[in-house]
Amino acid sequence: MRHNRVFAAFLALSSPFLLAAPAFAEGQRVQLRGEIIDTWCYFSGVMGGPEAVVGSAHHTCALWCSAGGIPVGLLAEDGTVYMVLQIEDSDESAGGDTQMRLASHVVSVDGMHYERDGLNYLVVSEVVQDDDIQVLSHDDFGVVPPFAVPEDAP
Amino acid sequence: MIRLVAACLVGLTGAAQAESDALPFALGGDFSLTDQSGMARTQADPEGLPQLLFFGYANCQEICSATLPLMADVADILAGGDLDLRLVMITVDPARDTVADIGPPLARIHPGFIGLTGTEAELQIAYDAFGVDREELFVDPEHGPVFAHGSMLYLLDGAGAVQTLLPPILPAGQIARIVQGYVGPAG
Repeated sequence: MRHNRVFAAFLALSSPFLLAAPAFAEGQRVQLRGEIIDTWCYFSGVMGGPEAVVGSAHHTCALWCSAGGIPVGLLAEDGTVYMVLQIEDSDESAGGDTQMRLASHVVSVDGMHYERDGLNYLVVSEVVQDDDIQVLSHDDFGVVPPFAVPEDAP
Repeated sequence: MIRLVAACLVGLTGAAQAESDALPFALGGDFSLTDQSGMARTQADPEGLPQLLFFGYANCQEICSATLPLMADVADILAGGDLDLRLVMITVDPARDTVADIGPPLARIHPGFIGLTGTEAELQIAYDAFGVDREELFVDPEHGPVFAHGSMLYLLDGAGAVQTLLPPILPAGQIARIVQGYVGPAG
């Protein structure tokens, strides 16, 4: 029950999103390295600045959001954000086991990059390397947002 | 800071690029549903207006959807430039979004919002056309089922053909500019 209410709070702030997994035409093969991020909190700013909504500080929230269908993105080392449409065999943009496992992780990926309307989309063919969480932002920000961890959590 | 971050995602090309890219996604198709007035409605707009389509649900009490107000903001921005955009939501919760019930919540967000519902079979045709998955996450004991569902916004022309798709995490102004790149200059 408590988890449901916390989850609902996240959804209320974030809206439930599941990206469609459309068929693709042409794209460009790319190798990228970066963090799998929660795009809603990153772009909306509702939970704080970009530095606070990446890495360990935002990991729990990123899990809640992904579970609720918030699309994940890849924040590449050059600062470009790619909207992730698929990771390997998981043709979901959020909430799948792979997306949940990789939340906040820094990964090296091989995939296809599509650009449309000036937006960057990414279909990850392979996660070449998973370096787990690398950005230890909780040292500076604690848990962002604090209510990401329920009060009655063990 | 957020504007800088958005620039990383959006880049500098904006709407101008919309006209040059072939649509890389196989999306869209025919469907026939029922609007809040009980009238049949297909993927085509009766007045031939461009349409911004979202799959969601209107009657959820727990979830303050960000996307429906975002769509309203986009329509208002474009209306300010004399460009009419039809807002359409296809329900993922037909049990609660009935013909009688789907309209009022949407009207509170924007008076021109069209809500479409139908039978499970009718709706599945639309879900399949747009690759939309829906999943009941849990049942809130006070307000009922909570769904996760397709999150993309789809820009359709007046005939119902998909022009592009847009993640609902962009600012309304940016979406409005992209839409305008497809439907032409205002006025």
